[in-house]
Formats: sequence, C-alpha cells, structure tokens
Amino acid sequence: MAAAALCRALGALVLSPPRAAAVAAARPVAIAAPAGVLAAAAGRWLSASAALCTTDPTWKCRVKYTVRPLGMRKTGGRDHTGRIRVRGIGGGHKRRYRMIDFQRLRYQEGTEKVVSVRYDPCRSADIALVAGGNRKRWIIATENMQPGDIIRNSAHIGRMAVSANEGDAYPLGALPVGTLICNLESHPGKGAQYIRAAGTCGVLLRKVNGTAIVQLPSKRQMQVLETCVATVGRVSNVDHNKRVIGKAGRNRWLGKRPHTGLWHRKGGWAGRKIRPLPPLKSYVHLPRVAAPPGQ
Amino acid sequence: MAAAAALEAMAAAAALRRAAGAGPRPRGIVTHTGPPRPRGPLPRTPWTTRGPPPEVLSRRAERRPVREQVELDTVTYEARQHRVPGLARPRFPAWQRGWHDPWHSPGPRYEDMALRKERGCFVCHQRVRMLEGVRQAQWLTKTKLVQGLPPSVLSIVNDPAHQLQDQDEAVHRAIAHARLWETTEVAPRRDKYCPVLFEDLIHLCRLMTMKYPSLAKRMLARNYRIAAVWERESFLLQVRGLNGILMNSVAPIPPVASKEEILATEEHVLETFYPISPTIDLQEVNVYRELNDTGFKDGYPYPHPHTLYFLESANVRPNRFRPEQLRAKMLMFAFGNALAKARVLYGNDPKVLEQPIVVQSVGTDGQLFQFMVFQLNTTDLVSSDGVKNLVWIDSDQNLYEKAQCVPEIKKRVVMKPAGIYGVQPETFKKFLALYLHGAV
Repeated sequence: MAAAALCRALGALVLSPPRAAAVAAARPVAIAAPAGVLAAAAGRWLSASAALCTTDPTWKCRVKYTVRPLGMRKTGGRDHTGRIRVRGIGGGHKRRYRMIDFQRLRYQEGTEKVVSVRYDPCRSADIALVAGGNRKRWIIATENMQPGDIIRNSAHIGRMAVSANEGDAYPLGALPVGTLICNLESHPGKGAQYIRAAGTCGVLLRKVNGTAIVQLPSKRQMQVLETCVATVGRVSNVDHNKRVIGKAGRNRWLGKRPHTGLWHRKGGWAGRKIRPLPPLKSYVHLPRVAAPPGQ
Repeated sequence: MAAAAALEAMAAAAALRRAAGAGPRPRGIVTHTGPPRPRGPLPRTPWTTRGPPPEVLSRRAERRPVREQVELDTVTYEARQHRVPGLARPRFPAWQRGWHDPWHSPGPRYEDMALRKERGCFVCHQRVRMLEGVRQAQWLTKTKLVQGLPPSVLSIVNDPAHQLQDQDEAVHRAIAHARLWETTEVAPRRDKYCPVLFEDLIHLCRLMTMKYPSLAKRMLARNYRIAAVWERESFLLQVRGLNGILMNSVAPIPPVASKEEILATEEHVLETFYPISPTIDLQEVNVYRELNDTGFKDGYPYPHPHTLYFLESANVRPNRFRPEQLRAKMLMFAFGNALAKARVLYGNDPKVLEQPIVVQSVGTDGQLFQFMVFQLNTTDLVSSDGVKNLVWIDSDQNLYEKAQCVPEIKKRVVMKPAGIYGVQPETFKKFLALYLHGAV
C-alpha cells in the first residue's frame, strides 16, 4: 500500500496539476499518509537548490572599465555555496578595488605618461595611473616609476634587440637575453598573470626558435611564445618582505585570521627538504590556446 | 482586575501590530531587497581587465560546427504556482503596464534618438576635472596665459580712492561672521561658510555703489545654463550646463589688452602634452545639439556677462576641485560665456573680433581665492596659429591663514584664543577691484 501510494505521489509530480488535484480529491486519506515520505524522498533525490550567497558578489560583474575605485564586499573565504573555501580569511580594513589593466597592448602601440604612483590595498605591489591618448588606466608599477615618466608599449619584434627602459612593455622576442622582466603573460594577448607580486622579477634566459625561456621568481623555468608581452624591470614596493608585522592585530587589519592553537606533532613537513626543481613549464605546445584571434 | 486590563491592552497592541504588518510578506529572514541574486559561480568577469580566457580565445579562432538544435519540452512548475525542485523555472514575457508611465519607461535607445550623430562631441560641464589643468584648458580655448592681473585691474587695486572706509575691519568682520558666528554648532562646515563668506564679500563690494552709481546696474544670476559649441582642430567641443554664479552688467567691460598686445599673441605657440590627448577627461557624447545660448532671453536688461563666481563648497576633500582643476574649469566657463555672447553679437562666422569680450571669474573654496580675467579676441579657433585669446590668472591667494573656532588649550593655558588669524587684505582688494572693473 505504502509503495503504491509513493508511486502515485511521484507520478503526481510529473502529471498535469488538474489530474493530480483530482487524485488528491479522490484519495485524500491515502495521499495524506505518505506526504512526509514524498518530501523526504524529494529532498534526497531531486534537491537542486543551492545555498543563498552569503554576500552579494554582483559588485564584480562589471563590463565597462573605470579608473574609479569600486566598493568591494568581503567573502570571508566562502565560495558561492557558502562553504569555507579558503581558511583563515576574514575581517580587516575596508578595501576598494581598482581595475588594473594587465594587458599593456590592449589598445594600440604608443607611449603613455605616468600620472601618479600609489598604494593598492588589493595587492602587494604599488600601482600607477597612466594616461595616453584619451584614456587613463591603472597598471602595476615598476620599481623606479615616477609621476611624469613616459613609458612605451610596443608589439614590434625587430632583428635587433631593443635597449628598453624600465616600465616599457615589449614582446619577449624584442628584448635582449638577460633582461629583468615582470608582468609576464603565458599566452599572447591573454594579459599578464606571472611575476606580479611586489619586488619580484624574472630573467629572460634564452630565445629558441620562436619561443622564449624565462626564469620565474621561484627559479622555475617557463617557456612561452616570443610574442608574449612583458614589462621591463622589477615590480615596485621592493621592501615589501622587510616590513614588520609587529603584532597579531596587524595581521587582523590585513584580513588574516589567526592559526588554530591546536598542537600538532611535527611530521615530515618539518625540517630541511632538498627537492629538485620542477621541470620546465611549457606553454608553447598547447595548440588550442596558442592561437590568438584575428592574427 | 488590573492584570486582566493589562492583558487586554497587550492583545490590542498585538492586533495593531498585525494590522500594520498586513500584506504579502516574504517568509523567513529577509537579508536583501530587490530581484534574487544569481546563484552558482559567477561568469569570468571582468574581461576588460583580464581579457577573455584562453578557451574563449581559441573558440573564437576555430570554426564552430553547425549543430542541429533539438527542442525538448521543458517541464516547468508554472502550473503548480510554487517552486518544485527538479522542475524548470518558468519564463514569463515581460510585464506590460498598458499605459505610458513617464517614471517607469525605459525611453528610446541611444541609437534611435533623434539627436544622435556619428561624430562625437567632447563636453565640458561643471563636474569635469581636467587632468592637465590650465594647460589643457589653454589648448582647448586657444589662449595665451599671463601670470598676474592685468594693469587696468592692478591700478584699481593700488588706488586707495577705490576702497571702503575701514575696509580691513569690515573684511575681518565678514570672515568672522562666516567662519565663527554663522552656526549654532561649534564650527560651520564648508558648505555653509563658503556661500556666506561670498555673500558677505559681495555685500561689502555693493557698498561702493554710493560712490559709483553705475554699480547699481548689476545683477546676479544663479542656476542659468550656458551652451557654446566650437571646433578646435579635429575636435568638436562644447561647454554646457550649469556653472557658477554670474554677475551681469548693463555695459560691457572695456578690452583689457590693447591692439598691439592682441597682435603680439600671433607668435605665441600653444603648449601640447603629447602622449595625452587634449580632450582627456572631457565627456564624449554622441547625442547632443549644437546650440549657442547665453542662458538669457533677448530682451534681458543686463545683457553683458561681467564676473563668474565659482564656490567650491563640498565638505569632503575628494569631492572638492583641487585649485588647478578649479582654475581650468573657471577658464573653460569664462570662455564659454564669452563665446556665447560673441555668437549673439557677431554671428556664428569665425573671425577676429573688433571689440574683444572680457569676462572675469573668481573661484574660492572659502579660504583660497583664484582670480582670472579672460579676453576673447577671436572666434576662429580651428587652427592653432593666428590671434590667440588672452587670460590673466592670479592664483592661490589666501584671504586668511586660519580660523580658530575652538581656542587651543594646553595644560589649562589658552595658547591661541578663538578668532581669525593672518587676514590678508590684499586679497579682498583684488576681489573688490574685479567687482569695480568696468564701472570705475
């Protein structure tokens, strides 16, 4: 009896409502008993609902570029399902997000002028406001960037290596071997994703038939196409690793929560490790992503 | 008995609460209003800063196979009238009101507007802050800059006959009125004391009417709108909208620079700032009207613009214009007023004016004053050579050093009593001279 009622109840889920209503009217007592069973079954089999977002993430859905700082909402390390994804995040001073343009050759080649260099709460490096033509944008500042400097963006790879100034953006193929670079992209036109933290720099080690091999700050080597654009020089805020936090509360200001006080026996993670460097990471032989559009 | 009465009162109160809270209410704890938020992971945004992800880049490059669309019947919970897990959410057509509500109509699209034009126009309005400041405004208005005030104004400044009785004391009183007394709180805020100080200073200037009766033929206008269009090299430019407080006069100000000085500006070369375009920070619009309008009707009895007053009275520093930006705005609007007047007087054809038009402007943030005299020599602005316009700027003049609203006390000793410190009467003399200019 119960099994039959359950089948009928599940059928009512799919059937058109008037018939379901008719069934309910005809067999009110029979339906009433397995209603709880149905609810439990629906919860176990057909649950399609996600938890409501704990914070509103819509502030980052923005299409148009602006140099004005945008208000941010804190996540507290939670993802869209509300579960903790990253432990130890929460609180801290309120921050505002400035849209950084990581693609130096987004518009056209040419020169730009640095308007101001300032602190950015969202990253360890300083950022620079540059103006060129009719637009302004934020970029990651290099070590010696000053207001009033003229920086250059170029996509041209000539036969001779250029003598680049700090802050200029060139394809890796145009730069001489041994140049210190930062803001490196893994695929041409993707936008810089490597060597962006404060005080870091990579070294252009060698250029091999259309590709370039770069030593990352971790000493790992990376092979990319020579049309990938990088900025010459070292990222600003070189003394970032020398600052003294001083007290636990300052880490809280930065939005970092304390470690757990639970005692853990030291295992294999403690002590000296000697490990070979990971092998060369190559972004060249991935054909699907190596083809930029319209080129 | 008393307990029963109290119970009754409580029941009545509960009924009242129920009545007040009647109506459809969402169940559970409401943490936000408005449409429901998108669930699930966000799209990869913003592409403007990161660029399209590599998968999208490669997908755009390769040819997409044509796939047959298979239409499946979607079972929705529309007929159930409540949400059922596992069934799709019904999509309804957008609700139509059935009548035109001007408050809730989206209006025509930008592409369909009647005034839409292919060529963009760069608009300078009252909230435009120019990156390059006065240099940029100079290029846009084809103007040569002269530091300091012109000699005809300086002669008024230096002549003791053109001063009030007990002028320094009156100025001190005006500042004290604005900074100390015009409030019931401890100290007035800037949006309060800046207009009050302006009114007091203008009142002091008006006292000179006894001496020079032609000063009576002046009129202050607020909230008038200016419109002036001109072309500069390849750009179409516009000064538009509300701006400062304009003082009109019956008689125009006589030209400040002589004919020789005007002709001498032909050799002046305008400064450029190469990587940056001169139109940076101006608002580019495609829906606009090419209109030249002084903001006043034809028969207005005070037809000539005399002085523009700009009050930067925002309390918060980021909302306030910095002095350099304020000077650029003053120059743009003085030029716009002069150009609109020139178009009324001499027509729309570009030419060198035989009778140059002079418009002055004064900007203040309640302490720091900027003085400017602008002379429009030519309306031929397309090319960068030929006769230029002229502007005299006297910048960053403090009226007083500090207004101490609360006495400074250290160790129970008053170090600095409340009052106004460091009054500079020279600044008011310049303010007065610009007011008297044209009437003396």
